[in-house]
Amino acid sequence: MDSSSSSSPDFYGFLDRMRRPAAADLIRSVKSFIVSFSLNATDAEEDSKRVQEYLFTMEATIKDHPLWVNASYEEIDNAIEGLEKFIMTKLFNRTFASSPEDSKIDSDISEKIRLLQCFIKPNHLDVPRLLRNEASWLLAVKELQKINAYKAPREKLTCIMNCCQVINNLLLNASESVHHAPAGADEFLPALIYITIKANPPQLHSNLKFVQLFRRETKLISEIEYYLTNLISAKTFILNINAHSLSMEEDEFENHMRNAKLAIEQSTTDSRPQMLDTDAVGSRRKGKEIIPEEARYPFLDANPEELTSEDVKNLLGTYKQLVNRYTSLSAALRRLSLDENLLLSSSYSLSPMRDPPFRETK
Amino acid sequence: MVAKPSNNFSFKLVLLGDGRVGKTSLVVRYINNVFSEKQEATIQASYLTKRLIIDGVPVTLSIWDTAGQERFHALGPIYYRDADAALLVYDITSSETFNRVTKWVKELQQMAPPDIIMTIAANKSDLLRSKKINIQDAESYSTSIGARLFVTSAKTGVGIDEMFLDIAKRLMDRRKESAEGLLTAPPRKGIVIIDDEPEKEPPPKCCS
Repeated sequence: MDSSSSSSPDFYGFLDRMRRPAAADLIRSVKSFIVSFSLNATDAEEDSKRVQEYLFTMEATIKDHPLWVNASYEEIDNAIEGLEKFIMTKLFNRTFASSPEDSKIDSDISEKIRLLQCFIKPNHLDVPRLLRNEASWLLAVKELQKINAYKAPREKLTCIMNCCQVINNLLLNASESVHHAPAGADEFLPALIYITIKANPPQLHSNLKFVQLFRRETKLISEIEYYLTNLISAKTFILNINAHSLSMEEDEFENHMRNAKLAIEQSTTDSRPQMLDTDAVGSRRKGKEIIPEEARYPFLDANPEELTSEDVKNLLGTYKQLVNRYTSLSAALRRLSLDENLLLSSSYSLSPMRDPPFRETK
Repeated sequence: MVAKPSNNFSFKLVLLGDGRVGKTSLVVRYINNVFSEKQEATIQASYLTKRLIIDGVPVTLSIWDTAGQERFHALGPIYYRDADAALLVYDITSSETFNRVTKWVKELQQMAPPDIIMTIAANKSDLLRSKKINIQDAESYSTSIGARLFVTSAKTGVGIDEMFLDIAKRLMDRRKESAEGLLTAPPRKGIVIIDDEPEKEPPPKCCS
């Protein structure tokens, strides 16, 4: 699954170089650039313009810098990638989902998707019959759900690209297995919309806006731009979904929406995690089903006498997973707090900044 | 893959057409030079690039497929807002699909860049004999909106290479005109690059 964007730049190599004495002038420039933001009120568009311009001028600066003398195009590019990641991680809280309007759209979309999840079926969207296999969606759903695990625009984009690549592979397999016309956007977009509804990715609107504003413009091109545009298009479609867009009668659609609201109200009073897969409602959830991060506790409300031996096996697996996660989370937290101290002591020096605890999406 | 700077003219072509008019097959045929009914299509065909040489200058066409089903119609502008060219495909045996082309044309005239280059493909010409089709009407319509019409068949390959070549040529002519008029092409997204270096584009995956 090698998306064209995912050859991971060497962030630590960049930081190492920036720590050399010869990079002092660059450090000073980056520091003052980041600090300068605190002088102005938050304005996403204005911030975007400044970041884009800064990265653009820094590209020239780095090209002419003694530390990058005779550097290859890839090395220069790697440095700008590192810089983008560094700056945007520092400015993340200021620039991501920063306006109340954005948060409102985020929650509107998420709420709408929760309702749609209760009744939408692949055939409502013309998802090709060959692809109507719930299990095969899982991977694409998971890739999209990872989007909030990253702060850097490039890494968020990688999640989107990975999701689209999974869909493409499914389409390819389907069109190869049968005498089938080549799969194009007629097949791809419905599948992406369906996956987006299944995934209900966190803060979808804000993530898309953030990537559009803060990914370097020279990198937001060709295939990557195409797939990003498709996700924007999926978001727009979902926001405006009505009876007509699902080929339903008006009252049928209204009915579905009403029932979904009731079902969700009920399930929240039960404090049950939201149901994602309406096809599987009623059937017991197994460890590997499509469940969002926060809903991974299938046994929370279970009674001991109801458990089958299969459940116990799953429970043990879940327990092991939990312990592993807890251990690595504690380790990551310890490491982060150490880094935080380092950062504070040297005030904005380029001390080692860790990747998020999850590694690069593959 | 890293976008390397290259001397390359790059254009965005958006593909519009009702579902089942064969717009995807058309492009696949162009890129692969095969009709997928006989040969297994081993490419994902939503986004494709084609490299051409026009008057000795390398040109890259990025071909953006769009979903043609009626329910997705309103999403069109998201794709063609900043397109350099639009290829509108209809099925020569279905007047309904031609009506949708006229609908898109109206929208393009309102919402796409004013200098967008439009081309209409009257596709499935291999089925021409099966029905009485009046190409003249489509042709005069096409002329009236400043577009060009090509009769194509993804099955036999008729008309396809000529059509894309014509699109690329018109794009280059337009680029030259705007350069001569000291009008740089409008910047895609805000940043004005004062340098006259053309847009950077990674080497396309599918070269002829």
